[in-house]
Amino acid sequence: MTSIIPASPKTVLQLDRLSRRRAGRQAVQDLSLALRSGEVMGLLGVNGAGKSTTLSMIAGALRPDSGGIRLNGEDFLEHPELARTLIGWLPERAPVWAELTVNEHLDAHGRLRGLNGSALRAARSAIIERLELQPLARRLAGVLSQGQRQRLGLACALLHRPALLVLDEPANALDPVQVAGLRALIREQAAAGTAVILSTHLLAEVTAVCDRVAILHEGTLRHDGAVHADDHAALEKTFFEIAMNGSHQPARAA
Amino acid sequence: MSLLAVTRLEWRRLLVRPLAWVLAALTLGWLGWNFTLLLGSFLAGQIQRAALPDGPGFTDLVAVPLLGQLAQLAFLVVPLLSMSVIAGERRNGTLPLLFAAGVPASRIVLGKYLAVLGWLLLWLALTLTMPLVLAHATHLDWGKLTSATVGLVLMLAALAAIGVACSSFASHPAIAAAGALIVTLALWEVNLGAQMAGMNGGAINWLAMSTHLQPLLRGLVSSADIVWFVLLIVLALALATRRLGADRERG
Repeated sequence: MTSIIPASPKTVLQLDRLSRRRAGRQAVQDLSLALRSGEVMGLLGVNGAGKSTTLSMIAGALRPDSGGIRLNGEDFLEHPELARTLIGWLPERAPVWAELTVNEHLDAHGRLRGLNGSALRAARSAIIERLELQPLARRLAGVLSQGQRQRLGLACALLHRPALLVLDEPANALDPVQVAGLRALIREQAAAGTAVILSTHLLAEVTAVCDRVAILHEGTLRHDGAVHADDHAALEKTFFEIAMNGSHQPARAA
Repeated sequence: MSLLAVTRLEWRRLLVRPLAWVLAALTLGWLGWNFTLLLGSFLAGQIQRAALPDGPGFTDLVAVPLLGQLAQLAFLVVPLLSMSVIAGERRNGTLPLLFAAGVPASRIVLGKYLAVLGWLLLWLALTLTMPLVLAHATHLDWGKLTSATVGLVLMLAALAAIGVACSSFASHPAIAAAGALIVTLALWEVNLGAQMAGMNGGAINWLAMSTHLQPLLRGLVSSADIVWFVLLIVLALALATRRLGADRERG
């Protein structure tokens, strides 16, 4: 799992006025964002703000109604096959094929992502070791706890070493030790040059691992800015202002 | 490559599900029992048939009727086997995992179809071994047996395509199975009224699956019958692909 940190981070993901209606309402509207390699972006918002819809579109599981997505400079909507190698996605609630074992899951995901033979075996062993899945390797996915499924989903997302990691509430059902492990893993991926975008309801999650935060409200982007570990109070203020009023007043320099 | 990955995934899922094994055990047991009965009946009537110069042989009285019974069982087996391939994925929320792997809808449908078809062909091959083990001890009409086998392969391929299409339209596997059974029976019996009225031609008879399978089971291979099955398969798979593509659009 060794990678070289790129000398000058390039834009991995670019969203251009992305819009999508879902269940009879505008779930995402005119969303524009850019994410560079090695950058970790947290996506915040109340329930129904459009986070999961946005991440599903970025992952290629859902097509936008309008707007554009560029991956490594290429038009993702024209070339959805780019998802195969460039994107790793952990959907909300980490769905699994219940009748397959953890090993079989990783093999299936690897093959779908173009890995085969010794490359697949090596990638599988590495990710099983990294996420400490050895005791679960032969267990059926259907009998795993939600936290274990979440780890399996994470392993599937990381297996092929994607350039962009899309995580929808990755800390769901994880215990505090696993959450600490997840944060370390995200920082490790970012250090290796992977761009990471994650949605969460936990502000502490954002201040702990993210370089930037984007706040969605009613499908539109209301805030996009840098975030630091000691910014928790400021982030909380911004988040609640947006959640309550739909906008926030940026602090002015004295 | 992604087609093979989808086929392998679906094949693996079929093999580890108890349903596929239970269906195989029950139907092969039933077919084995019927093969024994057909063989017993064939042996009992051998002396009487010896007097007929062109009387029916082992192929007409044992092998083809056995394949006919497999065709009847297929009406139930194929919908049960194919019901989960897409409807089950949709219900479990795993369908987006395939979309997010950049696999086009056409390859998802084709990959799953090939896995189901592979299981059905294995089922047919195991059934065929019953008459074939007696090939050295009796006179087999290879031409007629090949024709009947081609007919069965085409029928199973068509039923599998209908099953996959119904699974792609249904939100629950049980609805997919019921839908596939109804469509299959409708295709089989669509000309029943016309037949009872003494009509043996026309569009209504052309539509019926039995019109195209019966000649093949009798040893008559016609390109028109083969084209009918191919058209049905292509139509069903195209509908399934279109529905899956719409899933990706709708979310």
